[in-house]
Amino acid sequence: MSRKVAVIGQGELYEKVTRFLTDRGIEVPDTVALDLSGVAALIDLEAGTDERHRDWLTVLEENLPEHVPVFTSVLHRTATEIASWLKRPERVVGFSPLFLSEMTLLEVSRPLQAEESASWERHLEFWNELGKEVEMVGDEPGLVFPRTLALLVNEASFALMENVASREDIDLAMRKGTNWPHGPLAWADLAGIDRIVDILSGLHRETGDDRYRPAPLLRKMVYAGWTGKAAGRGFYRYEA
Amino acid sequence: MSGSAFTRPAVIGAGTMGIGIAEVLAAAGHDVQVLELSREVFDRAMDGLRKRLSRQVEKGRLTAEQADAVSGRIRYAESVEELADRDIVIEAIVERLDVKKDLFARLEQSVSESTVLASNTSSLPITAIAAAVRHPGRVMGLHFFNPAPLMPLVEVISAAETDPELAERAYAWLKEIGKEPVKVSDSPGFLVNRVARPFHLEPYRIVGEGIASKEQVDRIMRAAGFKMGPFQLQDLIGIDINYAASVSVYEAYFHEPRLRPHFAQRMMVERGALGRKTGKGHYRYES
Repeated sequence: MSRKVAVIGQGELYEKVTRFLTDRGIEVPDTVALDLSGVAALIDLEAGTDERHRDWLTVLEENLPEHVPVFTSVLHRTATEIASWLKRPERVVGFSPLFLSEMTLLEVSRPLQAEESASWERHLEFWNELGKEVEMVGDEPGLVFPRTLALLVNEASFALMENVASREDIDLAMRKGTNWPHGPLAWADLAGIDRIVDILSGLHRETGDDRYRPAPLLRKMVYAGWTGKAAGRGFYRYEA
Repeated sequence: MSGSAFTRPAVIGAGTMGIGIAEVLAAAGHDVQVLELSREVFDRAMDGLRKRLSRQVEKGRLTAEQADAVSGRIRYAESVEELADRDIVIEAIVERLDVKKDLFARLEQSVSESTVLASNTSSLPITAIAAAVRHPGRVMGLHFFNPAPLMPLVEVISAAETDPELAERAYAWLKEIGKEPVKVSDSPGFLVNRVARPFHLEPYRIVGEGIASKEQVDRIMRAAGFKMGPFQLQDLIGIDINYAASVSVYEAYFHEPRLRPHFAQRMMVERGALGRKTGKGHYRYES
């Protein structure tokens, strides 16, 4: 495999994913120069919440050799939708970038347009070579774990808004009463409050089901810039 | 136990929860009265308790004297009149509002005006139980988790008219006896049962929509740090119990879509696939 990968995105997720790659000896070239010759993959971490994402991806595709896969975050949109923007939709693989360094398992999804592509599964070898166990699931925003986590966080956020209990007690209760590894609010701070809102709003839009309506508190935290541990403040405050 | 908020507790009901709570209190050094209509039920519960304690002795976690002392502190009571001198009464009887209201109204006749009346209900509004008494300020929820001696968490629930100072007293007392209390306001499902709902419900939807198999969901959730996947856990809890809790919270919130259960779970219940206790649930278990 070529030791060069192009990554687009920003913020904490971008930092974490590029660090994951460089720690494994992979060079991350600057996509602004549009020089994508010799890259093994394009990793797209854009939340997909704005239209510039689409424009940028189509420009990059013009410069991307045709056999190169595009791994796109499906926290907010489906791989199928993102594939619909590209000339070669069968090069798209959806994946969840959440907790990439911490988890050995990686969830991926296949866009509908790649259903009949005989060579599509070969794209997954990229992750196998990086030591990931790939788990193929259906193409919906948030896949399995991010979606479930987002709903746990959402319910905890509603409970907090409604003054059912304090944030510390909500987290303590879920750790002690159900053996969760983290309280849901502390976990949200680790994942990023903006990512949680991306997942919920993506599910809400794609399904039209109010089950996925994000708690107003989560949206307000994003407006305020309280997006979690990386920002120094989320549900809790963190020392810089 | 000087300075302790409560020193003369009683428990009503010698079912799994009742006897478990009595054990917690006795282990903390309290003399506990357990009111149970059926002497036979009480005796069976005490036999079970002694067996559990002797296993602790075998494992070297307790001395034989300590085990005897714990069971020796639990005394049988057959009528509410015997609870006259108690300073806190914790009710752990059948989950039926009419039965609980009737009991609380009778209790109020027998105990002093300062006695705290607590319910261990997991699904009924404390506010509704409190409506049965003349002095609702002393009624609260103390929701222990099963098995009570092992599970540290207790939800301390304040209803609409609960005296605010009462939650503080109960909280301090529970800490003193080695529990992890949390303060919760009276609302459907309280805290844990409500916030845990999506962990049990969303996987049905994920499987139902063909996104992943049950095995995949469990594998992914374990990889994310949960000790058990949601389907494994439901097999352990009992799918019927989990379904009943889901429906109860959903109804209590007037069909909030976030809490909507899934028909696949009801079908599991209808065909008697209730989990480990029936040998089959989401997975098969060799009997």
